[in-house]
Amino acid sequence: MLWKLSLTSLKSRWKDYLVLFSGLTLASAIFYMFMTLATNPSFLKGNVAIAFSTTQCVYGFGIVLLALITFIYIIYANSFLLSMRQKDYAMYMMLGARSSKIGHLIFIETFLVGLISTIIGELIGIGLTQVVSNILITQLGLSITHFIGFYLPALLWTLIFFVILFFLAALWNRHKLVKANVIDLLKENQKPIKARKNIALKIIEAVLGIILLRVGYWAMANVSTLVLNSIPLALVTIVLGSYFVFDSFFILLIDLLRRNKKFKYSKLHSFTLGQLKFRINSYTRILSIVSLLFALALGAITVGLNFKQITDQQMESTYYDVVLFNQNQKTKQQLKKVVVTSKTKVTYKIAGKYAYVSSAQIKNANLKRNAFVGKTDEIKYKTEKITPNDIKPENSAYYEFAEYIPYQKEIKVVSQTKYDQIKQNSNETILLRVKDFKKNFDNVEKLQKFAVPKGKNVEEQLNSSKAASYRLILNIASGFEFMGFFLGIAFLAMLASTLMFKVLSGANSDEPRYVMLWKMGTRNKLLKTSINWEIGTLFALPAVLGVLDVLFGLQFFKSLLAHPYNNIWIPFSIFLICYLIYYLITVKLYQSIVLKKIK
Amino acid sequence: MTKVVQVDNVTKVYGKRGEKKYEALKGITFDVEQGEFVGIMGASGSGKTTLLNILSTLDQPTSGKVLINGRDITDLNKNQMADFRGQEIGFIFQDFNLLDNLTNRENIALPLSLQNVKSREIEPKVDKIASRLGIKEILAKYPAEVSGGQKQRVAAARALVHDPSILYGDEPTGALDSDSATELLETMKDLNEKDKVSILMVTHDPYSASYAQRILFIKDGKIGKELNRNDKNREEFYQEIITELGRR
Repeated sequence: MLWKLSLTSLKSRWKDYLVLFSGLTLASAIFYMFMTLATNPSFLKGNVAIAFSTTQCVYGFGIVLLALITFIYIIYANSFLLSMRQKDYAMYMMLGARSSKIGHLIFIETFLVGLISTIIGELIGIGLTQVVSNILITQLGLSITHFIGFYLPALLWTLIFFVILFFLAALWNRHKLVKANVIDLLKENQKPIKARKNIALKIIEAVLGIILLRVGYWAMANVSTLVLNSIPLALVTIVLGSYFVFDSFFILLIDLLRRNKKFKYSKLHSFTLGQLKFRINSYTRILSIVSLLFALALGAITVGLNFKQITDQQMESTYYDVVLFNQNQKTKQQLKKVVVTSKTKVTYKIAGKYAYVSSAQIKNANLKRNAFVGKTDEIKYKTEKITPNDIKPENSAYYEFAEYIPYQKEIKVVSQTKYDQIKQNSNETILLRVKDFKKNFDNVEKLQKFAVPKGKNVEEQLNSSKAASYRLILNIASGFEFMGFFLGIAFLAMLASTLMFKVLSGANSDEPRYVMLWKMGTRNKLLKTSINWEIGTLFALPAVLGVLDVLFGLQFFKSLLAHPYNNIWIPFSIFLICYLIYYLITVKLYQSIVLKKIK
Repeated sequence: MTKVVQVDNVTKVYGKRGEKKYEALKGITFDVEQGEFVGIMGASGSGKTTLLNILSTLDQPTSGKVLINGRDITDLNKNQMADFRGQEIGFIFQDFNLLDNLTNRENIALPLSLQNVKSREIEPKVDKIASRLGIKEILAKYPAEVSGGQKQRVAAARALVHDPSILYGDEPTGALDSDSATELLETMKDLNEKDKVSILMVTHDPYSASYAQRILFIKDGKIGKELNRNDKNREEFYQEIITELGRR
């Protein structure tokens, strides 16, 4: 009988359940996708770069972060479920159902809802992985190949992870219903407002919060002096600072607005402010979490998209684009496909383990190189001339020059007379600078491959070419870009839905207030405006703090990327538009709950 | 005398086309004069809540006319209805219906804010009605911090702050203890007699009803009987109501 009752009420609230289901499905789909990308060997093998341990470490870090946010997300989704159901269950208890029976019911319901949505989510995840990875790969011009959406271990891991989470959630719900008083459950929404706190304490807390944030931002910017202390210091101060700011600063701000009578006594302002103050008290934790996740997600996208910069940096580190060790039919053909802007000739003679070059020729050839002139937190190159004097093993120019001569010989710079006396054939290497190295990279890379020297150690010679290192960096950057983008969007989806669930789980208890305002003669439009502002503020506050976190936090990446702030409007707009869509959905859903009785 | 409320043959039928119909109101006709205190009594399901909803534009009659202050409220659009409630009607509900996230002062000020009254005019008005109802000391508190009787006074202040044409009470004493109930009823009587506030109160409690000057008994969607207090004192009127109730 209770099962039947429970199913009936499930039917009558299918809309709310749909929201819950789609949210949970999304979570497991995202988790599956990321697990597949991070652990699928065909993905790993297809990517040279992924084989690097650092990248694997980054992916591992990504999994931990994703698991953490999923955990938080499930807590809020679960509280939404509980808020929907507790009145029904309390009613059954009032009618005489045993609390153990009710506990059993909520346990099964939570677990089933979780299990079903996980399985559906995994199915969607398989499809999405295929589609999204294809789109990302082509859209971003990533060099990722061999990719299949289905991967059994990821499927199992996702299932196990979610089953554990929902088992815990189910236990929690059972505990909450069995322990709680029936009356408390029925009258949950009639809790009195918390007593007002000491204003002086709030001011101290607000100031402390801002100071902590400031210290955190400073730590991020001064990674070069703080080195390893930078991250933990920033983490602790920013987490605490965000919490303090939400717990005090915004409440003070609302109080300040409430004191402005002209503002307060206009339209529904006093009500909106009251709602906000009422909420922020219970939202402190979630707003801090959301602002941090917001920063992480936006940061991941921004840094991810900017990671292509390291390919530019790589390009800048070498002056010559192609080294023609050898000219043949193939290179001649291929040369037609690139536009050469400058040509420099290096001649040498090989005798035993030495390669001889003439100092006069080097002078005449006007050889150049891009020397690193940056500091630890700045990446900068300057083009300089290579003089015969530079070609000594203690100079970095020596090693650059050595790459223009095949077979890894030791270089000796000699006078022209001495050079002429060496009884060996004179060989030449042509150094080219080409137009559109990046745009025409495929052709440049081919040309370099055709122009390898004959004989042994060819692979090594090829690997040290600009084309090869560019390809390598491109792969790493693509991997990071892909992951940054993916994690960023996944985090965004989760954090925005977390906030959505928090807002919606309060909707049922907010409803009588809106009905009341309507009865008093408030126009529908005004009610909606009030809702827009209220939820808008709840969405905007963590976003503002999150954006600040990112703007300051990008300083941290100065040692890795030359211009971390380049084009930040692109990730920022992508991100904010997605966030805005979530806001609009939340407003619509919230309105459909609180205004449903209003004709 | 002018009529504040004129109800002419109002019916209300629930149930959509093809469904089983239920007639909640079967042709109700009555008036409320300016400055009158009218009680409407009836058992649960008699239609008194439906009637009050129609009189306050929260619901539409199926047929018939309702005029408040001479204005037909049955052909207003949504916004006009909302504005009408905000300007012409004051409500006191059984469960107070105060907003728990606003202070009592803010609660009382709300109807004025909604009508775009200038902010500097709002506080004097709130203070005036609050002292009239003896709740000046609790204005800075939140509803959850005051007693049930005080809450209902705050609700009454909110209902009257914008000088409505009529005050509707929907079981206003339903959630109060007997002392608080008496206090509130005395206040309502006082407001009616001294400030000439027109009151229409729906109740099933004969004690509350005995404060009215005239009582309409509603039964099965129709007005059955009308009792007038005339020169009787409250206790005598109370006895008359009890007798009338016992008759059914």
